[in-house]
Amino acid sequence: MAKLMVDSDKYGYQSEFAAVEAYNSMVKDLVRKRFAAAGRPWREFVFGPDEAVLTKADMEAIEAQLLALGYRFTPSAMSSAIERPNAYKDAGLDNPDFSFEHEGAPTAAPDADGRELRGAGDNVVTYEKNLTGIARYVRTSDKVLEYLTKGVPPDTIAIVDDSGGTLTAPVLEGFKGVLCAGGTTRSHLAILTREYGIPCLMNSRLSGIKDGDRVEVEISARAKTGEDYAHGIDASARVWRLTKA
Amino acid sequence: MAGKELTYAQLLETNSLIQQNADETYWLCATRTVQESKIFPVSAYILFSYLNCFYRYAMLLKKIEEHMSAEEIGDRARNSGIKIVAWTIPCFYLLGREMLINWGVIKPTDAVDDVVYVMDFWKRFQLSWHRNNGNLTNRMANHRGQILPEQRLQVYHADAFECRIGDELHTAAQNFMATIAQYGFLVSCECRVTTHNHGPYKISDTREMLVREFRELAEHDYPWLDGVGQDIPYNNLTVTMMLEGIHITLLDDWGSFESEPEMKPEHIVAVGLYTQDNLTHVPLPVGMGSREELTATFNDLTARIKAATAKLWEQMAGWTRDQQLDAGALVYFAIAKEMAHIAGCYDVNDWMMIDERTERFRPLLNDEYGNLFLGELVGYISTPSQRMHDYYMMQHTDLPRRALSYFPYSMLQDKDYAPTVGPMRPGASNLPAKVDRYRTSQGVLSQEEYNRRSREFVPDPCNEKFRFLCTDWVKYHYDTPLADELFKLEQQHSRLLKGKGAGLTRADIEALRAKG
Repeated sequence: MAKLMVDSDKYGYQSEFAAVEAYNSMVKDLVRKRFAAAGRPWREFVFGPDEAVLTKADMEAIEAQLLALGYRFTPSAMSSAIERPNAYKDAGLDNPDFSFEHEGAPTAAPDADGRELRGAGDNVVTYEKNLTGIARYVRTSDKVLEYLTKGVPPDTIAIVDDSGGTLTAPVLEGFKGVLCAGGTTRSHLAILTREYGIPCLMNSRLSGIKDGDRVEVEISARAKTGEDYAHGIDASARVWRLTKA
Repeated sequence: MAGKELTYAQLLETNSLIQQNADETYWLCATRTVQESKIFPVSAYILFSYLNCFYRYAMLLKKIEEHMSAEEIGDRARNSGIKIVAWTIPCFYLLGREMLINWGVIKPTDAVDDVVYVMDFWKRFQLSWHRNNGNLTNRMANHRGQILPEQRLQVYHADAFECRIGDELHTAAQNFMATIAQYGFLVSCECRVTTHNHGPYKISDTREMLVREFRELAEHDYPWLDGVGQDIPYNNLTVTMMLEGIHITLLDDWGSFESEPEMKPEHIVAVGLYTQDNLTHVPLPVGMGSREELTATFNDLTARIKAATAKLWEQMAGWTRDQQLDAGALVYFAIAKEMAHIAGCYDVNDWMMIDERTERFRPLLNDEYGNLFLGELVGYISTPSQRMHDYYMMQHTDLPRRALSYFPYSMLQDKDYAPTVGPMRPGASNLPAKVDRYRTSQGVLSQEEYNRRSREFVPDPCNEKFRFLCTDWVKYHYDTPLADELFKLEQQHSRLLKGKGAGLTRADIEALRAKG
């Protein structure tokens, strides 16, 4: 077996994540074999005139090896799981009873006013008063299309998975507020909500908030800055479920 | 580079330029996290684009320089605006290299001639683009991007219309900026490369100005805007925005800004609107004849952009994953294509295709692997190639990590490496073929005609007479006829400054604004 330059790495042994390491090791293994078989110096092999180094079929075979072990990928884009249900896990996007159950979500029993702590997030812009509204999950393009054609229901505080601005692009303006489970206050969705003047918490850790629950969001809290992230400073705004009418 | 002996000095400089980007990679990415979208496999397409950059940039930038030098392109870009190219060109390219090193597909010594060239091109472009502040990047200016000369800033300052929260102009401008920002994210498949900010520029003790560039709005290079963007009359729009009561504390090399306190709509107190591209001499005012005209223009453009947003969203939501992967990768990869337009050598086959060498890796790039590998490369800085010895302390985290691999100096003696990826190879795309229709400031042109006009056009401020008349020349020659001529070029479309010449100060501009 040929030895690659990166096989003798004093400081770096493996990738952080096992899935990355598995993939990268399989690619390296293939390169070792192809280099040995080529019988040419590296400088002639590496950007060689033919496709002897690696092919698309090689990469398909690597993926097939992982899938054959029963491994299923976690999807990000809806199209991935829809097109290849046997390669991706079910993201549960169609579950009407869905609620985020994030590990780090702070929770507490209802206070005297019936405010039950159900999460926290990073405030994008500080407003004078907290925000109340109806929590509604917006996780699919079907839901966005529904809002696009019928209008966004009044008082909607949208709960979204990711920090992008594309899924909700045509309807974002209609939200009263946004709770985003990903990103930071510098993410695209944060930039857009700031532009529209829509209150928003990014990096929200939530638990037990169901579609239709009335919630209060602590948008009067300090906004979290880039420096806070760079130095690991916590600056969380809270989210309550309102248990009294 | 090819055929020339590599020198120690070249490697020293190249590694230094790599490091300039390495530290910032962590800072930019860690504060924004990995982007995800339910519509696009974002991380996967970002990785795909990095590979395309690695396999194509050196050849494409050389092709551009056959027509125009990087530093002259920097002059043109300063004059007519450009997308975010500061961090993106070197880092997209170098992160592609980093991926391939971690896969064992290349050694850290391979493609050295290409990398030395790309970094040198980038350096010359950046120095020229930044010539009014002398920095290579916004990072080196402690995250500030003061790009424009006094004569341009005076026009922007003079002609911006006052507005206050709740009035018609303020409402129209705010709606417009939110709508166009959102459209920009959608056009660029969830990234933000079509939006750029620079500044801040000091207007008074209480006011600062940001210049916001919104580009790639109409039918131009992206196949997915054919039809969708046909009712948008400008491909690029520039909004000048004066802010009161806040200080822009940070404007990074992605064009993102932060302020103290955080910016809210009430802080916007004056706005202006312009269009420009590589075929304009100076920015052309859009709806700037009166407050009422500007308000109506903002409202009209907002309505057009909202309609385009809905059409584009429906189109994109119906794309296959391969189409999403291609479109996203091409947006990132083709960030440098504006330079090809400036040089008049744009070819859709160069910039809107996935190279066959990149294509090989498509099956690897599922969503999960994409998120994790990208997260390691730019967030955790934890791939094996990025690990350093235990005494090493990375900027920001103090961890023994380095985001981008250097070239080992031993390669000056050990020659077993391939100096270049070689010539361009064919590419392909799963997207519909691009219609040969490009919206420019000179009308809708074919690719061939656009290139011809670009090669022949020299913006007045960039011609041989004025090109080197910089801020430091103006400082000592403001009272000359030549300085007057230079300033009058910029003032030719100005409502308040037309024909005023070079002698005005910022206080004079304020006084003119007060008079109306």
